[in-house]
Parts: sequence; structure tokens; C-alpha cells
Amino acid sequence: MSDARAEVIAGLRRFVATIQKPNMPIDGIADTDGLVAAGLIDSLAIVQIVLYLESRYGIDFASSGIDPERLASFASIADMVMERHA
Amino acid sequence: MLMDLRTGNIVEAVAGRRWDPQEVARQVARRVARLQRMGLQPGDRVFMPFGNRLEFFAELLAVWRLGACAVPIDARLTAFEIETLAAAATPRLSIVDDATDASVVRSMETAGLPVVQTTDTGTVEQAAGRSRLDDDALILFTSGSTGNPKGVLHTHRSLRARWMALGDNLGLEAFERTLCMLPTHFGHGLICNCLFPWLYGRDLYITPPFKPEIIMRLGAIVDEHRVTFMSSVPSVWRLALKMAKRPQAGTLRRVHVGSAPLSADVWEDVRAWTGTRQVCNAYGITETGSWVAGLRDADCPAVDGLIGGGWGAVIRVLRTNSTEQPLDAGMICAPGEPGYVWLNTPALMKGYFQRDDLTRQSVVDGWFLTGDIGLIDDSGRLVLRGRERDEINKGGMKIYPADVDAVVERFPGAADVCTFALDDAIYGQAVGIAVVLEDASDGQVRALHEWMSARLAEPKMPSRWWIVSEIPRTSRGKVNRDAVKAACESRPPFDLVSALSGRGVR
Repeated sequence: MSDARAEVIAGLRRFVATIQKPNMPIDGIADTDGLVAAGLIDSLAIVQIVLYLESRYGIDFASSGIDPERLASFASIADMVMERHA
Repeated sequence: MLMDLRTGNIVEAVAGRRWDPQEVARQVARRVARLQRMGLQPGDRVFMPFGNRLEFFAELLAVWRLGACAVPIDARLTAFEIETLAAAATPRLSIVDDATDASVVRSMETAGLPVVQTTDTGTVEQAAGRSRLDDDALILFTSGSTGNPKGVLHTHRSLRARWMALGDNLGLEAFERTLCMLPTHFGHGLICNCLFPWLYGRDLYITPPFKPEIIMRLGAIVDEHRVTFMSSVPSVWRLALKMAKRPQAGTLRRVHVGSAPLSADVWEDVRAWTGTRQVCNAYGITETGSWVAGLRDADCPAVDGLIGGGWGAVIRVLRTNSTEQPLDAGMICAPGEPGYVWLNTPALMKGYFQRDDLTRQSVVDGWFLTGDIGLIDDSGRLVLRGRERDEINKGGMKIYPADVDAVVERFPGAADVCTFALDDAIYGQAVGIAVVLEDASDGQVRALHEWMSARLAEPKMPSRWWIVSEIPRTSRGKVNRDAVKAACESRPPFDLVSALSGRGVR
């Protein structure tokens, strides 16, 4: 894993820790686990992740749309960020 | 205009399942036969803790054909809440689907309630037409799932009055192909978004409710099905405007936004995204069969709180909020003067199910006290200014602080509690709680969280907690939720994540 991708995931983990459900230890969620499927976040909290990605990485989702699969896990989000910044 | 209740096509917009009116009739007839075999009688009530799928609508019509009353229930409720509502509604049987939680099914079976899977119909078909206009048709519980249930009871007459009023005021052209992304257990989604167009023979497209992965595809769904009408809530639009590509085919003719305040900014953004000026704030209250007022022609400047005129309803803004004395013309506010919003409509509920006391607190001489504060502007339009009701509006879902308080109060280590609304960028409002614990250790907090999780549906669980030493009350012992909220927000919330993970300091 590249340093840049690892830093994206680390930043995501720090952010999601501020919006996660309280009874689900984030340390127990693997990078490839589904964030909603694992119960870490409420499904509508995905919009907070989108807002984070917009402000942190300048990604404009409204013009391009989003494939929901790309927001499923820390790993898939990081891959999307890396692609858009490639 | 008379209604003949002929259904249109019904389609699961994402899954692609589709029933035409002939298949709907066949599916209803199978369920009529099955419900008869189970002994359903006219006047019985049927619990339905599932929804947003084709079978739900077939069950609903079958229940009605047999003269019984449907009780759609939020599928996310806990077994504890289901038991509470079942004790209040005393249903004859319950219909579930494969997504119904096993603990919910067990609790109903333990209570002696026959439970049947919606897909378990058999092949025998039976016709029936036993419902009468003034039979009880629908109970929608709006609060009290933890101890004091409040069920809005509609008859076929009040429902038809709502649908006919909408048809007369809005016409049917815009509703040719209607999309519903709202839950089918509450009035906005079920009575108006789904049943109004579908029972007028228009096509209905349904999705599971509040799924971000579906909202992200909203533009594509609208294009694929050439959707002409949809309704939703502001929180869904906040998501769609941010994350979904807008539709390209230009099929949308009308869009309603309801169940929560619509700001002028979001209003204009929705117009730009949907490509139609016909976007309006639909004022809906379950007790009046939901959409009771709005703009017929919505091509006007967006204004915060603007509703419009009554749809089959007379609107009055009065200086009184008392149902203990007759209303008179002297109580009517002048144009521009804020007051209490009252409604008179033939679509008014029959009353709160077996709670005449609550009905008397809300209705006088056929006038319904909405709990909203508003004014009539110089053009005679209703403009909402706020709510008097004690509720938290989380993305259109109404959460009553008393329901959460009631659960916490029963926790053995809780000395006092106050639940209140927090401002939230996505939902509009979220749930906050201040609690006094006899032992404020992390262990007790974990025990309380576990206690609440077992008794409260997930959307009702507070997102931020404050563990406090006391909750200020008035000399009459009443709690001022706004004051408690202000005191709590002046300091950081409790670190619940650390406490629940065992990483806390106490």
C-alpha cells in the first residue's frame, strides 16, 4: 500500500471515528469491511463522508455522480480518492 | 370526481419486479383466501411490520376487501416496541416478510399472535368486498412505541376524502408515473405518495426507504422509469443534491417535499436538479391524511416556510390553542399575524385509536389543532413559522422525546433524564440526551446504552449524550427541554465511544 493511500485511510478513520455509532469499535473494522454493513455508521452518514471528501480532497460528486460501491469501505473510498487524484 | 380504486401497475424500481393490475388482482385474491383461512373477520386489525415491496400493497388491499383494518408498522422497531404497539392495537394476526427481525417474530408468536409470511399465500383465489365506507381502514402509530401508543385511525371515508381532494386540486396528469422512496408505514409515504396515484390507476414505482445507495442513483432511476412525480423529505434532497447526477430526460412534472421544513435555498436547488419549477412544500399531517395544503401552481418564488392553500381543507390561523372551548371568528389572526394553525377537512382521522382523551385534546367541532405556528400572508397563503409540538424531526421521522425518556426512566440506575433535539446538517435534527445516573461510571453508561438499544429503534437512539448531575426543572416540576439543550451544548458531550469500548477513564 502506498504511503499516500495509507494516509487517506488514516484520515478517513480519524474522521469516521467522529461520526460512527458509539457501540462499534472502529479498530475492529478492517479496511475492506463495509462501513454500513458492519454497523459502524448509519447509512445516511455516508453523506458526511462525502462532505469530508469534498472539503479534504476537492472532489465534486454532484457533477460526476457516485457509484455507491465506491463508498462502501475505507479501501474502496481510498481507491476512488487515489484515482481522482491520479 | 368518483374513485373506483382501480390500481395501476406497481414496480419495484430498483429490483425490477413488476405487477400489472391483473397480477395485483390475482395476488390480492390469493391473500383474501389465505386471510379467510386464518379466520380474519370484518373489524379485525392486522399488524404489518414490513413494507416498500409489492406484497405489502397486495396485503393492504386484501385486508380491506375483508373489512379489516391494516396497521403498518416501522420494520426497524425493536421487539419491545412491537410488543407495546401490539398490546395497544390487539391485532388478530400479523403479516411479516423475510426481512422481519427474528426477535420481532418470536415476540409476536410468544404473545399468541398468529404470524404469516407475506409470500406464503397458496394458490387458491377468493373474491371479497366486505369493507364499508365508515369501517376502520388504517391505523398509523405516530408516537408512544415505548409505552403510550398514539395511533391515528382513518376510515375508508377519510382516506377517500383525502385522495379525492388531491385529485380535484392537483389533477392526475403529473402523477402518471409516481416514484415513492419514503417508508410505507407513515402517512406521507403510504396515503399520499403511494396510494393516491396508484388507486387512481396510475403507475407506482417503489424503492426501499432512505437508502443512500439508491438516492445516489436517483437521477438514473427517474430517467429509467420516466418518472413524472415524486415526493420526498429535505434530508433526502440534501443527499441527492450532493451526490446524485441529475436526470437528463426531463420527465419530472411535479415534485413534493414534506415532513420537515423546506428552506428556500433547498427549494430552488431541487428545482434546478429536477428541471421543473413545479416543486412545492406539501404540508402533511397524518391526522388529516397527510398532504393537506400546498401550492397548486408552484411556479412562484421560493420562500422559507411557504405552504400555500388548503387541498380539500379550510385553514385558519387562530390566537387560541385550546380545544376546551368552541372556536369563533373573533379568534382569527389578522393577515401576517402569527398564531396556531387549525385545519378543517373531511379527511380528518376518526380519532386516536382507543384514546378519546387524546382526540379531545386535538379536535374541537371538527377542527384539528395541528401544533404548528404560522400565518396567512397577504395573498391568503399559509406560511409556517415553527412548531409548538414537542418532537424531534430527524429526516422527516418524528421522534418524541417522551418516548426516549420513558425507556431511560425505567433503567434502574437512572435518576433523571431529558431528551431534546440537536441541530443536524443532514437530518435537520438529531437526538440528544441529558441523563443523571446514580452511578456515573462507564459500566453504568454501557448498561444504560444496552438497555436502550434493546428497547428503542435505532433512529431513536441519541447520537450525543451528556451525563449531568441534575436536570433543572420549573417549580411545577416541568422540564424545559430548550434550556437543558442550551446548557448541554455549552460543554462537550460525553465520550460515548470510549465508554462503550472500555477505553474511558472512569
